Formats: sequence, C-alpha cells, structure tokens
Amino acid sequence: MPKILVMDDDPDIIDALDTLLGGEGYEVITAHDGEEGLVKIREENPDMIILDMLMPRLDGYGVYKALHDPQWSEWKDIPIVILTSVSEDVSHRRYELETGVRMEVAAYIEKPIDPDVILEGVRSILEA
Amino acid sequence: MRKELLYEISRSVIAAVGVQNVLWAIVESITKGTKAKGCALLVLSQDGEKLYHRVSYGISPEYIGKGVIEVDDMIRCVLAGESVLVEDMANDPRIQYPEAAKHEGFGSVLSVPMRSYTGVKGVMRVYAGSQRTFSKDEIDFLDSIAELSGLVLEKEEERDRMALEANRAREEVSRMSDERERFLYFIRMVAHDLKAPLAAVESYLKIILKGSTGPTTEKQEVWLNRSVKRIDGMLELISDIVDLSKLEAGLDSPELTPVSWTEVLNSSVEVARGLTEPRGIELENDIEQNLPEIFGSEVRLCQLINNLVSNSARYTSTGGKIAIRAHQVEDNVEVLVEDEGRGIRPEIIPEIFNDFFKGDPESLEGTGLGLSICKRIVEMHNGKIWAESPAPGKDIGTLVTMVIPKGVVCSHIWGKPE
Repeated sequence: MPKILVMDDDPDIIDALDTLLGGEGYEVITAHDGEEGLVKIREENPDMIILDMLMPRLDGYGVYKALHDPQWSEWKDIPIVILTSVSEDVSHRRYELETGVRMEVAAYIEKPIDPDVILEGVRSILEA
Repeated sequence: MRKELLYEISRSVIAAVGVQNVLWAIVESITKGTKAKGCALLVLSQDGEKLYHRVSYGISPEYIGKGVIEVDDMIRCVLAGESVLVEDMANDPRIQYPEAAKHEGFGSVLSVPMRSYTGVKGVMRVYAGSQRTFSKDEIDFLDSIAELSGLVLEKEEERDRMALEANRAREEVSRMSDERERFLYFIRMVAHDLKAPLAAVESYLKIILKGSTGPTTEKQEVWLNRSVKRIDGMLELISDIVDLSKLEAGLDSPELTPVSWTEVLNSSVEVARGLTEPRGIELENDIEQNLPEIFGSEVRLCQLINNLVSNSARYTSTGGKIAIRAHQVEDNVEVLVEDEGRGIRPEIIPEIFNDFFKGDPESLEGTGLGLSICKRIVEMHNGKIWAESPAPGKDIGTLVTMVIPKGVVCSHIWGKPE
C-alpha cells in the first residue's frame, strides 16, 4: 500500500489525517516539523508528502526548497500536496500572490480537512 | 486704530524680513534718529520679576553683561504704561548699575513701555551720551516704536507657540498611527491563532462524519453537521476580520502591480462557476476582452468579484441566474454583478456597505463584513460601488455596479472610510 508522509506541527491535524488515511489502508508516517520530515523522507522514501506551510525549525517552503537541491535529486519527484490555512478559497493563484511563494506542487488543499477532498486528491495523485 | 495699524505693519514686516531683523532695525534707527548713544529692548521674564536683554545697538557687551535688572518701583511705573526719564544715570538712586552706566559713558536714559495685545512685553531704553531731556513729540514717537516692538515680540511668541503645538500634534498623530498599526497587527495575529484550533476541531468532526471512527447515530450526525456549519461561520468571520485589518493597514507595495482586468474577471468567473453549478444557478458572463490594465492588487480585485458573486449565489435559488458583465466606458471599467435573488429592501440599501451590517440580523449565515470589504477594495482603487434593487427593468434581484478608473494608481495608504 502506498506510503504517505504527513508533515504538520499541529498534532491534531496529524492525528486526523492518520485516522482518515490509515482507515483507507494507506501507510501513514508523520513528522512535526520540516527537519524531522527530511529525515523521514530519507529513511522511509514515501510515495507522497502532505506538507503544512507554517512549521517551526524548517517550514514547508524550506522543505520544498531542500528537495529541489541537487543532493536531494533522488526524492525531488515525490508528489507534494500543500495543506494550508492561508486563504479561504483554495486558489493556487491567491496563495502565491498572498505569500509571494511560487511552487510546482501536485495540489493545494485547505484546512479544515474535508475527507472527500483529501481522499480524492491523494487517490488521483497516486494513480497518476 | 494705532494698535491695529502697527500690528498689520509688524505682521507684514516680520513675514518679509524675520523677527530678529525687524528688532535690529528698530534699535539702530532709534539710536541714529534720536542722536542717542544706544538703544536696547529688555524683555520681561515670565514671572514678571526681571528684565532680560533681547537686542540692542551702540551698547558694549560689558554693559549688556553687567547683571540682571530687577523689576523695581521705577520699572513697575514703566510697565504700568508711563515713560520715565532719568537725566543723570551715574548719580540717580533709581539706577541699578550706576558705575557701569558711567563707565559706558551714558548720561540720561528714557524708558518706554513695550505694549502689546496681551500686556506689556518689556521696556525699550534709549541711552543718551549726555544729560538731556526728550520733547513730548519725541516721547510720543518712541512710544509708538516701543509698541511696535512689543507687537513684534508678541507675534514671535505666538509663532513659537504655534510651532510647538504643531510639533506636538505631529507627534500625537504619529503615536496614534503607530498604535493603530500595532493594534491591527494584534488583530491579525489573534485571528490567525484562532483559525488553527478551529481547523483542527472541524477536521475531526468531518472525519467522524465520514465514518472513519465508526458509525454515528442520526442525531449525532445532525449535530456534527451543525457544528461544522457553526465553525465554518466562525472561520469565515475570522478570515473577514483578517482581510479587513489588512485593508485598514494599507496594502503592501509588492502586492501592487499592473493588473489585467480581463484576467481578473476571467479567473473570477471560473471561481464563480464552482459556486453556481452545484446549486443549479445559471452563470451568464459578458466580459469585454482586452479591458485596460489597472495598477492595483490582483488578490483584492479577485476577492471583490468573488465576494459579490458568492453573495448573489447565497440569495439566488436553483434555476435562477447570475450575470457578470464588464465593459470599458470612457476612462473607466464598469463591472456589474446582477442576480435574481430576493433583492434588498429599499430602506436598508444605504446601509448594506457598512461594517457588520446584516439585512437579517438573526441569520447565522454571512458575517456582515463582505460588502464593507468590497467597498474598501473599490475605494482603494479610486472607484465607486453601489447597489440597486430590484435590478433595473426587473421586479426582482439586485444589481451591484462598480466603476473603477482605468490605469489608476491604487491608493496605497488607506484611511477610515467615510
């Protein structure tokens, strides 16, 4: 079964995603900040990453940048879903404009978590 | 009459040459004109007990530095409005520094009050090299000049006071604006911190509803759904408050760029479709392509159109229609959002753009901030927004019109709305 790494500093979001994705049979691994997340990527080699943006120590943007560094080239193609609460309507464009951050990622998904949206997103990315 | 005239003269002379130059000219002209040895203007201290040297002509620095002049009986007479002559300075007991006067070569001194609007400012003294008297005409003339000096000094005080007050006001304004910025920042931070726990709670509720934690009873399902709705409302309110405080604080310059109206409207139509399609509402769009550019905030302009469409969608029932139209009209871009909703009661139309205004105060839907945010965004782009209901030519619905000048420079700093 595909392995999904969830990186979020909110233990409740991690718990919720663990229950939801675990219940669908995915293998879920978790990290509470970007640095821990990078270690898990190396150790566990996940099939996809669900990434929170605002995290201590190393934030989501830092993780994204690290993965695009040549020394991480082995993992640069792991699909990333950004899980954020920056804006209400999850428009890729609005997020970029508000944060000034432009990232090539598989999807942007908004908190609070809508199970159908997450499951559909994960399914379509892993099948692609 | 004399005072008014002197005041007018002093005002225009001060404006032309400045206070200090006027005072110098006065003491020099008096010394020369009366063939005196020197002339000094002595200003009364604030407590009224001493006289200080302000400006003089023909007097040595030693004499000026001889010491402070106490207000004694003779000076009190002068301050009361009388001109007093001392014929023999070296030997008159009324003189406080007779030795210095002798050393300076002064014979007589005439003291004249420097009157002004608000009282006597001090004493003008004319020193003669010999013992002499002054004629009534001379004294009258010197009296006028002393009064002119008094008015000049008063004018200067007033100017200093105004400068001080202006400075104080500037400091106050700057302090208040710092405080306001800190407060707006505080609101943004609080709002942001409120969102995270709400998002976590709602995530749990939705996953429970999905059945991932086991079956729920029908009653539990109803209440969980209602809880989700209430949290959604709270999240919407928080996000409106964040937007409002951001708009009140003024836009960041990086946010301001040349923006294509056509792109803003096309992408807004896409977002609108996501709202109207699931509700079975028809979306009509008539957007002129190649609309002019505007220098402003793309995020805010998109938010403006999306807010209006989501408002319309809220009140338009299945089978109804929402139309987005945009055209260039002379130097403006005119954007219209029209719906077939239940419309707005005419008596509340003037209030709908106010903060926290709700047409139906008991409704759980909406925050009452959507339209006030729209109004701020439009005004930031120097435009106008208004609503008509029922829509013109119809008996239902609402038409919201925005007129925004093309190519306009967005007002970066935003004050309070009218």
